[in-house]
Amino acid sequence: MKNRLKVLRAERDWSQQELADQLGVSRQTINAIETEKYDPSLPLALKLGKLFGLCVEKIFTLEETATESRRH
Amino acid sequence: MLTPFLHRKRKAAQALADSLHAAGSARDVVVRTKQIYGTRLLVRGLLWMSIYALARGLLMMDVEPAALRVGVALMPVPFFVWWLWTWMSGVAQLDELERRIELEALAFAFPLAVILLMTLGLLDIAVALNPDDFSLRHIWAMMPVLYYVGLWRARRRYL
Repeated sequence: MKNRLKVLRAERDWSQQELADQLGVSRQTINAIETEKYDPSLPLALKLGKLFGLCVEKIFTLEETATESRRH
Repeated sequence: MLTPFLHRKRKAAQALADSLHAAGSARDVVVRTKQIYGTRLLVRGLLWMSIYALARGLLMMDVEPAALRVGVALMPVPFFVWWLWTWMSGVAQLDELERRIELEALAFAFPLAVILLMTLGLLDIAVALNPDDFSLRHIWAMMPVLYYVGLWRARRRYL
């Protein structure tokens, strides 16, 4: 699953630790999500959406969806 | 020209400060859990292993009667249960990635432990393994080793 977490975080000038603190998870979890090694649970994805003021689909996209949208 | 940019920056900084204040204890919980989980687990684990070593030493001295020997052999069990309870409660408080890592470590270690015991059981039938090398008192030590290998694999995958 692809995500825009790194970009969104950089836009707000937040460090991984600052974002992790707001979500109540470890910095390693944020890093693993950003590097796409780990897909977050639905509650964590929703928390991220709420924090960034975006719906989850604007932050996370399935690989096939990302490929399709590039094709169109 | 810079005003909207600075305004947006200031707004973002304010939002961050508010969120940090609201979630102020969230970080403390994660850090504190790790501290307590690590230290308590270590102390209780060492206590359990010390009792195990004591029990093993006493049993090697051929204490009598048999009922006392059984009592000595069971001595480490309550300490193990205490350690296990610490571990379980610690895992319940870990964040979701750390819990996933624990799960994958155990998912790796458990089947390997079963295969190890099964294979040694069959080999014992085939060639009668030397009990000084392959008895249960030695084999159990392989279980934590397998768990740590599993932990290493999972950490390497995610961290």
